[in-house]
Amino acid sequence: MTGCDAIHRIPASVSQERVVEVAMFDAGYGINWQQKIAEKYTAEHAAEGIRVRVWGDQRVAEIVKPRILRGDPPEIIVITNIPMWLLVRAGKAYPFDSALDKPAYGADAPWRDTFIPGTLDTFSSGGKVYAIPGAFGAWCCWYDAKQFREHGWSVPKTWAQFDSLCDQIKAAGIAPIAFQGKYPYYAWSTYISLVQRCGGVAAINRINQIEPGAFSHPDAVWAARLLQDSAVKHFEPGAMAMTHTESQLEFVGGRAALIFCGVWLENEMKKSTPPGFEMRTFTVPAVEGGKGNPRLFNGQGGEFLFVPADSRHPDLALDFCRYLISPLNAASQGATSGAISPIKGGTKRETLSPALQSAMDMIEGAPGIFTERLTFLFVQWGDQNLVPAMSQLLRGEITPEAFCQRLDDGLTQIREHPVPGSPIPDYRPYDSAKFGESP
Amino acid sequence: MKMRKEQQVFVVSFLAPAFFLYTAFVAFPSVRALLYSLQKWDGLSIPEWVGLRNFYDLFGDSDLFVAALQHNLILMAFGGCFTLLLSLFFAALLHRRVRGATLFRVTFFFPNVISSVAISLLWVLLYSTTDFGVINGCLELIQRALVSANGHLSAWGLPQLPVIPFDLPFPFAGTKYLIYSIVPMIIWMSTGFYMVLFLAAMENIPETFYEAATLDGATEFRKFWHITLPLIREVLTVGLVFLVIGCLKLFDAVWIMENQWPQKESHVLATVLYQKVFTEYNVGYGSAVAVLLFVLVFLSTLLTLRLSRKEAIEY
Repeated sequence: MTGCDAIHRIPASVSQERVVEVAMFDAGYGINWQQKIAEKYTAEHAAEGIRVRVWGDQRVAEIVKPRILRGDPPEIIVITNIPMWLLVRAGKAYPFDSALDKPAYGADAPWRDTFIPGTLDTFSSGGKVYAIPGAFGAWCCWYDAKQFREHGWSVPKTWAQFDSLCDQIKAAGIAPIAFQGKYPYYAWSTYISLVQRCGGVAAINRINQIEPGAFSHPDAVWAARLLQDSAVKHFEPGAMAMTHTESQLEFVGGRAALIFCGVWLENEMKKSTPPGFEMRTFTVPAVEGGKGNPRLFNGQGGEFLFVPADSRHPDLALDFCRYLISPLNAASQGATSGAISPIKGGTKRETLSPALQSAMDMIEGAPGIFTERLTFLFVQWGDQNLVPAMSQLLRGEITPEAFCQRLDDGLTQIREHPVPGSPIPDYRPYDSAKFGESP
Repeated sequence: MKMRKEQQVFVVSFLAPAFFLYTAFVAFPSVRALLYSLQKWDGLSIPEWVGLRNFYDLFGDSDLFVAALQHNLILMAFGGCFTLLLSLFFAALLHRRVRGATLFRVTFFFPNVISSVAISLLWVLLYSTTDFGVINGCLELIQRALVSANGHLSAWGLPQLPVIPFDLPFPFAGTKYLIYSIVPMIIWMSTGFYMVLFLAAMENIPETFYEAATLDGATEFRKFWHITLPLIREVLTVGLVFLVIGCLKLFDAVWIMENQWPQKESHVLATVLYQKVFTEYNVGYGSAVAVLLFVLVFLSTLLTLRLSRKEAIEY
């Protein structure tokens, strides 16, 4: 049979096949889970001629950007290194609201109500949701429980205890903190956590509302001082020249005892972690005299998915998203990919590794989550103000006050020269009282 | 003299492919880039005409462009000059038939057959501050030896040796020192190519000149200065132009060694261009960088050619 014959003999039902193409970020969590769910969805909708094709790449953004520009994008795209707000402003993102109001797969509630509170806020504007989280991210400090047991170290509850722990680690001939110095952004999440510990969610609100002087506020400067002190005293020598892979290898290799990272660390380092390494987490410790509730943690949705406005089958794309991120499939996410589901109560502890279970302890014990939104909103501010200033702060080359002033100066520029036709999206401030903090 | 029709068809058929390819892939994109540089455009919405605003922003709004340009000049001054001097030195040595010349020629040229991305990754490992870092490893060995030697010297009441004056491991590939750390890499990577270029020119010089100079009692240096250098001047100029262009256009080393995340302390012009267009979607600003980069390359080449313009020397 020739190739031409094959083309002519495709059955009519197959030629009318509607393909939902899903472009994923193939990194820390992999794409196995999404592919399995896609196969299940395709099998269930075979009669309708619907097929979901999931592909992934570490450089997914570079692959899909030209396709977005020429109006031929995949149906669903993961947001990684994609300026989402630019797409929203240009009308290139399809709102999820029609799907969010439908019942969730595997639950009686509307899909919207099944998400962990706050995780849909990241890409919400004008009452519409433009992206949904594909996973749940939380920021924490990782350690090896076995190493801690052997040295008699205990998990610190306060920043002073953390500082003292680092001294003990150093005395044992081990570097206290590994750091992904090539990406100073990694310290940003720790900094934001410390801002909350020092000033409560009110300080986070000031930052997210882009208030004048939000960073020069004493609470934010205090947090910068704690971070700088820790970096200068306790970062592994040479850390500022290490990539995330190098520093994480230092950690799993036992040459550094602690590392701040998101909950994807375990899965990302799975192949390099030696047997017997008991990876566990603890939350950013409380700051003595700080106003923040130390049970809160810096967390938000991760691996966000959006449907481009130029998608050929936006309704199918929304339906597949509703199926993928649902109470029905949430339990298998942790077991297959090591990711925590953004669905409320969706992740079953028994399906998780002990490392992720320790992260779940932090998540389940928290009365709420907080996060910052500036780095999503103002990419240029991140590149030009935050990263260089953070780098210098960590190397001890500028004072905490100067660091905070540089962040504020960048925001002043944004306030004074807003991009025409692009208002800053709505922000729902965190409620201090609800989060167990005094207002 | 007028060409016949067949001749015209012949000429056009040979010129047309090159003409169309050049127009499609060089001339047209260049004109488009020039137009983009006069617009504010995020690649998605409708472009807005802003005149020379992007060029003003390059110098007025932020010092990123100036910092990046300084880094290119540092690379040119240190990397370019050392490459030129070393390649001339090695070419002269090989020209004078040192033993094992062919082996040296192959060895020096070897880095040229490796892709610049692979070379950058190799140097990332060399500079690493982890146990993989050969350079830091060697420095630590030296430091230990010096400290140990100083222990013995002080026991004998002798003066101390100087130790390495910075903490080890040293973050050579850290953002702050990256530009200077790229200089040895450029030298290692480029010397072989220029050496072969200059050597080819030197081998065209008739041996009789050197024989005559030897009879007159000229030293090796005088022979090099008065015979070799003047007679390879044209090739030297070409090499200089290549180096200037290469240092101004440098991208991959910084991009790889900074893990696609250069900062103001490590940016060069080409990485600013890329980051503006593909990370920040500021196509207008990025195009303005591209236009200025083109102007700089053009002017530098012109200046280099003009400075070295003399009539060809013939003995």
